[in-house]
Amino acid sequence: MTDSSIRTRTYGQALNEALDLAMGRDESVFLLGEVIGEMGGDFGVTRGLWTKYGAERVRDTPLSEAAIVGATVGAAMVGMRPVAEIMFADFLGECYDQLVNNAAKMHYMFDGQFKASIVVRTACGGGFGGGPHHSQSVEGWFLNVPGLVIVAPATPVDAKGLLIASIEDDNPILFLEHKALYRVKGDVPEGYYTTPLGKAVVAREGKDVTVVATMKMVHEALAAANELAGEGIDVEVVDLRTIRPYDAETVLASVRKTGRAVVANEAPKIGGLAGELSATIGEECFRDLKAPVIRVAGLDTPIPFSLVLEKYILPGKEQIVAGIRSVMK
Amino acid sequence: MTLDIETLVDLYRDMWLIRAFELGLEREFKKGNVPGMLHTGVGQEATQAALAAHLKATDCFFPDHRCHGINALAQEKYQGDGERIMAELFGRATGVCSGKGGSLHSANPKVGNFGDNAVEGSYMATVLGVALAWQMRKEPNVACCIIGDGTVGRGEFHESLNMAAIWKLPVLYACVNNGYAISMPVGKGHASADIVDLARGYGMPCVIVDGNDIELAYAEVQKAIEHIRAGNGPYFLEFKTWRWQGLFSGEFRPPEEVKYWKEDHDPIKLARAKIIDASDLTAADIDRIEAEVKEEIERWIDFAKSSPMPDPAKATANVYVDWAVTA
Repeated sequence: MTDSSIRTRTYGQALNEALDLAMGRDESVFLLGEVIGEMGGDFGVTRGLWTKYGAERVRDTPLSEAAIVGATVGAAMVGMRPVAEIMFADFLGECYDQLVNNAAKMHYMFDGQFKASIVVRTACGGGFGGGPHHSQSVEGWFLNVPGLVIVAPATPVDAKGLLIASIEDDNPILFLEHKALYRVKGDVPEGYYTTPLGKAVVAREGKDVTVVATMKMVHEALAAANELAGEGIDVEVVDLRTIRPYDAETVLASVRKTGRAVVANEAPKIGGLAGELSATIGEECFRDLKAPVIRVAGLDTPIPFSLVLEKYILPGKEQIVAGIRSVMK
Repeated sequence: MTLDIETLVDLYRDMWLIRAFELGLEREFKKGNVPGMLHTGVGQEATQAALAAHLKATDCFFPDHRCHGINALAQEKYQGDGERIMAELFGRATGVCSGKGGSLHSANPKVGNFGDNAVEGSYMATVLGVALAWQMRKEPNVACCIIGDGTVGRGEFHESLNMAAIWKLPVLYACVNNGYAISMPVGKGHASADIVDLARGYGMPCVIVDGNDIELAYAEVQKAIEHIRAGNGPYFLEFKTWRWQGLFSGEFRPPEEVKYWKEDHDPIKLARAKIIDASDLTAADIDRIEAEVKEEIERWIDFAKSSPMPDPAKATANVYVDWAVTA
């Protein structure tokens, strides 16, 4: 990090700064997506950039997700660093082939002759009544895809540093932005800096139990930790930051220290990140564990519309607290 | 006769190279020397030879799955080692992708070959980005996308033509309409048997070409590329042709149709007749050209067969840029 001054910024503003700085520094960086131009994007992340950099580099597209992502791959093949915005992560089904069969495999199947240096930003996660097609946590859809990098910031400072690092990186990056975090505020340094990809961070130190989480679940885990501190349970929270390839070293070191692990993930429990982390912890830390690893995750349902129903199926602080109590027994 | 005889003979040599390549490959495939699947471009040589003749190394083409021929022509023309395409198909370390890509994923950006994607039509989206980057950087290159008639069923076909049209991108769509998508006749699989009918709504020039007449194919590709290079936006060519091979092999097609395309309208027979008709060259002269090319292809096959297999440990290389994969 540079010695620039620290200001308070929202997660959304931090992402906007990252795009602005990256575009200012490197002409090969350009943006494309639906209503990202004059309108500034559905969540306002590209606001002001169209005026500053023009319609050529902040390019509005038709509703053609496959073409948007395909075009980023093609531009990267000839040395550009495009950043696509897919308005809702749920729409990634429309460009799944482009990400999985094209972007993620290109460097490998042509044996290093091309680099798919793209970033695909997308808004994921529920909790606001978005319903089945505007609320999902999709990391599990992409976890089984070698070649792809999945980045998932939880805080404004990391949102900015990870987005700049993702744009600088030569790999195809799926950049997940949780909708509930866009207005979360935090300290953000001014100026250009990167946060390393593939590195988790200990968001709170503790000695009794490790909670591994990403994005909104990091905040839920921190709230759970504060609640349990009053009962003398000292919770360590590990924010994964990069989901694939993830930083097993930091996760395992934490679990070896505490001897207990809760894995918190907003997506449905089956076949997702929570299971993957839990399996790795089980394989590597079996002798260090004082209790079985607990997965705190969404119920195995689509996301319902009504807020009461949605709250019922999505995990939060209460479920993490219950999970921690269970491993502390 | 619109072409000078030297150009026509060169194109004949290129078409024959494609045919000899494919027939040699098919022979080796049947012997079990070529792994995986094989889709040959026999019968479709004129389209590929015409495109290869006009595309520069600084342009690009996305080959379809019957494009060993244009891959080999570009490799030979710009790097003088067409045998590396053959070696790739044999899965050897000397192949253009070191054996990682094979028949359906051979690429070499140095010769403009941006690689096939075996999910037919996916690169219809990819081509947009190449063209967009060149347009933004004011580089007067042409991004060519070779597709089959079956690909028209993909959503990317429409997303691609639309985006190329609204942004006036330098894209040449070369649709090789060989009459069948796997075994589905084109008129049954699409709302029109003429693909240009589906493309025309996007407002770009759309031209049907006899894809087995090398002179016409050569002239129409030239016209299209001049249009695109001059900054006039995308262009759609539909080449009517026919593949000799079934998708897998030999599914039923009516005998009169087979006779027409193989005997009466074979691109190589047509070109051979034209050359003999329009020049002093005799059948024996052309036989000599064919024998030379055939010999060269046999040399490529020998090269491929005698090349080393890849080091198995390389299977984990280049998954990520600058990140090692650990098991």
